[in-house]
Amino acid sequence: MSPGQRPMPVPTDQKTQQIVDEVYRLESRRVFATLVRLLRDFDLAEEAMHDAFALAVTQWSALGVPENPRAWLISTGRFKAIDALRRRGRIDEMAPDILRRLDDVASSNAVRASHEIEDDQLRLIFTCCHPAIDPMVQVPLTLREVCGLSTDEVACAFLTAPATMAQRIVRGKAKIRDAGIPFVIPTAADFPQRLASVMAVIYLVFNEGYSASSGDVVTRADLSGEAIRLGRLLLELLPHPEVMGLLALMVLQESRRPARATVDGDIILLEDQDRGLWNDSLIKEGLSLVERSLSTSRFGPYSVQAAIAAVHATARTAEQTDWPQIVTLYDTLLSINPSPVVELNRAVAVAMRDGAEAGLVLIDSILGRGDLVDYYLSHAARGELCRRAGRIAEARAALTQALSLVRQEPERRFLTRRLSEL
Amino acid sequence: MKYMLLIYSPENAWIPEEWKQCVETSMQICGEMAAKGQLISAAPLHPVATASTVRVRDGKPFITTGPFAETTEQLGGYYLIDVENLDEAIAISSRLPPAHKGTVEIRPLFKIDGLPAERHATVTSNSETSLKTFMFLCYDDEEAWRKAGPQAHHAAMQEAVALTERLAALGQYISASPLHPVATATSIRVRNGQRLVTDGPFAETSEVMGGYYLIRAKDQSDAVKIAAEHSGARVGAVEVRQVFDLTSIE
Repeated sequence: MSPGQRPMPVPTDQKTQQIVDEVYRLESRRVFATLVRLLRDFDLAEEAMHDAFALAVTQWSALGVPENPRAWLISTGRFKAIDALRRRGRIDEMAPDILRRLDDVASSNAVRASHEIEDDQLRLIFTCCHPAIDPMVQVPLTLREVCGLSTDEVACAFLTAPATMAQRIVRGKAKIRDAGIPFVIPTAADFPQRLASVMAVIYLVFNEGYSASSGDVVTRADLSGEAIRLGRLLLELLPHPEVMGLLALMVLQESRRPARATVDGDIILLEDQDRGLWNDSLIKEGLSLVERSLSTSRFGPYSVQAAIAAVHATARTAEQTDWPQIVTLYDTLLSINPSPVVELNRAVAVAMRDGAEAGLVLIDSILGRGDLVDYYLSHAARGELCRRAGRIAEARAALTQALSLVRQEPERRFLTRRLSEL
Repeated sequence: MKYMLLIYSPENAWIPEEWKQCVETSMQICGEMAAKGQLISAAPLHPVATASTVRVRDGKPFITTGPFAETTEQLGGYYLIDVENLDEAIAISSRLPPAHKGTVEIRPLFKIDGLPAERHATVTSNSETSLKTFMFLCYDDEEAWRKAGPQAHHAAMQEAVALTERLAALGQYISASPLHPVATATSIRVRNGQRLVTDGPFAETSEVMGGYYLIRAKDQSDAVKIAAEHSGARVGAVEVRQVFDLTSIE
C-alpha cells in the first residue's frame, strides 16, 4: 500500500486468518501466562500478546506458519514488550531485570523452556490464588487472567455487576504488581494451604465452560477442556485425594456433554439423554479416580460430588438410578460443606426418591428463609416439581419467575418450552 | 523489593522473660538477614504511652499525647527489609515472635526520587551523639488525597522530600519513604502453629499509614516540631515514637 492511498483493511489470506484464530484459541492463554512470568506485568503481557497475534496474521501469510507457533508468539511478544517499554520511556528503569529474564528463556534449551512454559499457567493460577489476595478477587482474577474470560463473563458467573468485577480484577492486578507477589509454584510447605483455593478456581472455570453464564450456546467446551487440563496437571503435581475427586467430577460431567443438547443447542435433561452418547473412556477414568479417592480417608466435597456423578454414570437407564444412594451422598456432602445450593440438589434427589411433594417441602423451606430467591434454578426446580405434583398454576408462576432470572439463551428456550407445555 | 514490616502486638501481653526471648530471637533473625543483605534496619519502638500525635490545621499544630489510634494491639517495632518478593517477606514475618501474639503487617515501599542517602547505621548506634532516634508514622486519608488529585499529592511529596533534605543537611536524617496504598498490605498472624495470611492492613481505619520517617532529634518535643513540618500533617496525622537504641539492650 503506497503512503498516499486511503487506508483499507489489509487483505489477509483467509486461510492464514483461520490458522491464527485456531492458534489463538488453543495457545493464547499459554502464551499470555509465559509472557506474564517474563514481564511480571499483566497489562504489558496482554498488550504484547495481542501485538504478537496481530503480527502473526500478516507475517504468516507472507512467510508461512512457523513450525512452533507458540514459541514464535512468545518470542515475538517479548520483542513487542520491549518496544512497548521503550515507547513508555520505562526501558531504562526496568530494562536490566526484564531483559535478563527475557534472555533466560531464549537461551535455555528448548526442552526446559517448553516444560517451564507448560507450567506457566499453573504458576499463574497460584499467583492469582495467592492468600495475600482477597478471596473475592482470587477467582475472578484467575478466570480473567488464566482462562481469558471477559470481565462480563466473570461478572455473570458471580451474579455481580461488570463494573464491580472490573474493579476487583484491577485491584488484584495492582496487588500482585505493587506488593511483589511472585509468579512461582509454592513450596511444599505452603502447597496444601494454597491448594484449596486453586481447586475452587479450577472447578469454577469448569462450570463456566459446562454451563456458560451467558450467551447462546449451552456449553463452552474449550473452557471445560482447559479446566480438565489444569486438573490433570495439578494431579500430576500433587496426587491428593481431593484433586482426584475434582478431576473425577469434571470428567464425569464432561462425559455427558455429547448427550446434553440437541443439534440446535436445546437442553436435554439427564433423564431424557441418550446414554449411548456418553463418553465411555471419560466415565471409566472418572470412576477409577472416584474409587481411588474414596478409598482414602482424606476425601472431601469434590470427591463426594464425583461419587454422585458416578451413580448417574453407572445407571443404564434413568429409571435405574439409585436415588436413595444419591440422597445419602448429598447428606454426606451437606455435613462437610453445608450450602443452599447443595440443599436444593438434595431436595430434587429426595423428590426422585419420595415423590414431588416431598421435594417441594424442602425447596419451599430454602426459599422461605430467603436463600436462593434470585437463583433461576431454584424456581425452575420448583416449577418442575409443581408440574409433576399437578399444581399447574403454581408451576406456571415458578417457571415464569425462573424465566425472569435466567441469563442464558438455551436455558431460556428450555423454560419457555416447558411453560408452553403446561 | 523493599518492604516495611509493622509489628503490632498487645504491649501488656509480654512478661519480661518473653520480651527478652523475643528480642533475642528477633536479633538472631536480623543477623541472618543482615548476612544475606536483606536487612535495611529494624528496631523496637518505645511504648505507645510515650507517643505524641501531631496534626496541623489552619497553620496551627495540634499535639496530643498517645498514639494516633487506640487499638488492642499496638505498633511495637518495625523492620525495613529488601527481599526478592512478597513470599520471602511473608516467610520472614511469620518467623518473628510477635506474629504469634499479634500481627505483622507487610507494606511495600513506594519508590520516589530525590530522597537523600539513607544513614541507617545511626539507628542502632547513636550513642556517640546526644541525639535520639525517632520514627514518624504518617497517617493519611487516601480517599482525601485521591480527591485532591495527583498534582496536590505530588506537591506534598516534593515538600516531604525538601524536609528530608533540610534534615540531611543538619545531620538528622536517617531514612524516609512513602508506602504503597493500604490495598497492597498483607497481614500475617501465626496461631497454634498455623500461618494466617490475609489481604489488607492490621486494622481498617479511614486514615492509614502512608509513610514513615526515621530522624534524629534532641528530644520528643524537638521531634514533634519537626513532625509538624511534614506536609501530610496538614491533612492527616503524624505519630511520633522514639526508637529503642538496640545497643543499649545488648
